[in-house]
Amino acid sequence: MTEDRKPMIVSEGVKKWFGDFQALRGVTTTVGERDVVVVIGPSGSGKSTFIRCINRLEVHQEGRIAVDGIELTNDLRNIDAIRREVGMVFQSFNLFPHLTVLENITLAPIWVRKHTRTESEENGMQLLERVGIPEQADKFPGQLSGGQQQRVAIARALAMNPKVMLFDEPTSALDPEMIKEVLDVMKELAESGMTMIVVTHEMGFAREVADRVLFFDYGTIVEEGTPEHFFTNPQHDRTKLFLSQIL
Amino acid sequence: MVTPLEPQTGTSEHAKPPFWRNVTVLKWIAQIGFLTFFIWLFYILISQAVSNLEGTGIAFSWDFLAEPLGVLLGEGFNTSPGSGIEALAVGMTNMLRITASGIVAATIVGTIIGVARLSSNWIVSQVANAYIEFFRNIPLLVQIYFWQSLVLTLGELTVEEEGAAWFFATSKGIAIPWLTPRAGRWQYIALLVLGAFVTRWVYKWRVRILEEKGVETHAGSWALGVFATFLIAGWLVHPIMGLFGFLWSALAWVFGNVPVILFQLVFAALAAWLAYRFIKNFLDERRTPAGLAKLTDDDYFRLTVAGILGLAGVAFFLLGPGNATVSRLLGRDLTFSMNWGLEPIFSFLAEKFDFSTGLPLDFSRPEVVVPTRFAQYSPAVGKAFTPAFVSVWIGVTLYTAAFIGEIVRAGIMAVHRGQNEAALAVGLRRGQVLRLVVLPQAFRIVLPPLGSQYLNLAKNTSLGIAVAYAEVVQVGQTIYNQEGQTLAVFIIWMAFYSIVSLVLSGVVNYYNRKMQLVER
Repeated sequence: MTEDRKPMIVSEGVKKWFGDFQALRGVTTTVGERDVVVVIGPSGSGKSTFIRCINRLEVHQEGRIAVDGIELTNDLRNIDAIRREVGMVFQSFNLFPHLTVLENITLAPIWVRKHTRTESEENGMQLLERVGIPEQADKFPGQLSGGQQQRVAIARALAMNPKVMLFDEPTSALDPEMIKEVLDVMKELAESGMTMIVVTHEMGFAREVADRVLFFDYGTIVEEGTPEHFFTNPQHDRTKLFLSQIL
Repeated sequence: MVTPLEPQTGTSEHAKPPFWRNVTVLKWIAQIGFLTFFIWLFYILISQAVSNLEGTGIAFSWDFLAEPLGVLLGEGFNTSPGSGIEALAVGMTNMLRITASGIVAATIVGTIIGVARLSSNWIVSQVANAYIEFFRNIPLLVQIYFWQSLVLTLGELTVEEEGAAWFFATSKGIAIPWLTPRAGRWQYIALLVLGAFVTRWVYKWRVRILEEKGVETHAGSWALGVFATFLIAGWLVHPIMGLFGFLWSALAWVFGNVPVILFQLVFAALAAWLAYRFIKNFLDERRTPAGLAKLTDDDYFRLTVAGILGLAGVAFFLLGPGNATVSRLLGRDLTFSMNWGLEPIFSFLAEKFDFSTGLPLDFSRPEVVVPTRFAQYSPAVGKAFTPAFVSVWIGVTLYTAAFIGEIVRAGIMAVHRGQNEAALAVGLRRGQVLRLVVLPQAFRIVLPPLGSQYLNLAKNTSLGIAVAYAEVVQVGQTIYNQEGQTLAVFIIWMAFYSIVSLVLSGVVNYYNRKMQLVER
């Protein structure tokens, strides 16, 4: 974390078990406001589980998580408050197939923020322009390409005006030529000052955009640092091995 | 060295194979062969049945439909019908009563059970589970007998209970308060039908303004308001609809007085028109901006069959009464002189539509009366359900609800887990997730199997015969025991159940098509 920034996400000793399998073995880190943190690591290392704990899609059993000063506890009010502040983009898009693109985006503003339909639709169209596909507003998700669907998913998350955006392998389900269009949107978002945690295998993105890289293995953060440190001078053997395999 | 194959367009053998190798010819032969075979089979079966019946000394006829019949029915709008057709009509309405109300009730109970089955509350889900396993694994017939014996073990209805009350449950059946239809109901119903059309028009009008001007026009609230106005104001002004009485009596007069030949012409024209529409739609579907698409052999065959059927229809209606086979199959009396029942229908409606100021409906409590030595429920007030009705209704409803519960559960589970997560992640609450995201998608998945459960429920009502519930099978059996016209009754049963099933599945298919997810 850049020292002068106020902490946005605080995680202290977060542990999580699936049955008797321990997915997180004490994750401690802090993400500051406007930080872009890229999380990398082999599959099964707990990186997805960690970011899913941040908005309570998974329940952590030990440790503490706080988002923008709100403690993530069993209190429904806190959970709802955090989910309103945290947007999430999934690997498999998870757009609502029975709603049009624009309805996907306006659903939460209308039902959760209680904005009017006209207001939400105007805002939704602006977001679609921001992600570059305003002409698809009245189509259904099934009629869009993977890259377009993922951009709609980003617009849907942004429609709630979140303070934090979580990306769970946003480009892993995409054809190579569509990855760029999604990464471009994410870069623009990072430049605009959004706080982001991105789980990805796109090392180019990490190098170019990240303020900080976390390397996960075996349910813990093995190594963290700036992209420069990380890609040129990794300290840990496990990190070296991982990087040698993917670069 | 490989030489490229020469195109062999010039050889006559390539252009025209002998007919036994020509796929087009073979297809036509096969299609015509099958068609001829089935027509022949059908003809053999029917004429065999007819001549067998004649052999037993009972000539096949539809006469019993019009003749007086000495049977008493357990319940219905007319418990001592004057003719066979009236008796069957009572049976049909009794069947439809259970089918319609049973479908609604089974859907509600089934949805609750299905959702409860998935509840994270252990007790709730186990109770739902037990319900499903219990009702699904016991034969429906046994269940109906069980409910019947349960109702019959209720206390007897005694003369001491004479008078009105909110609720009766005795071995004579169950009686509850009810909205009893009164004289004004026909006008009121007609007014509501009119109201539904006006509401639809208003809704479309508001939506059009919304689309043109882009301002919020509250189309839904407007539509609701208009229909509510009809519902409330109609209660007071429904006698106006007596005006329709003139229209109905005019129609009745027309159908009663036009010469038979006109009906023949109209129906012949209808047959020709249907065939024409089919052919036209068929060709339109294959028309592209570039012109008519190339038709396949199957297409030509279908067009030919449609054309032949159309011509056969025209011939049937124009020559029908004179054709010996047709009159033997249909019975000598069922000719066009009956006006296809249109005249009596319109006379009936004309009689009901007058300017009477009677209430459409009347809320009343059930009452026990003692006309002779025995107590009974008054037929005039409240609503009494016979033990037979109660046992069949509860039987088919709870039985079907168990299957619907499983379908609903499967539908909800088939909605991808990611949908749930995405909806939670954008901040929707659990109830909203279910209502706005999961159930609309589950509904699409659930519709086709739900439709087949509705068909099952409709057909299972025929088990009512076991507890002497006067539905169409029980009535039909009573009739052929008395008249011996087994074949005629079977034909009526088949036609009736087919029509009910086709209508039900038509409705379900219509919604299914409307609800399809748009992809690509």
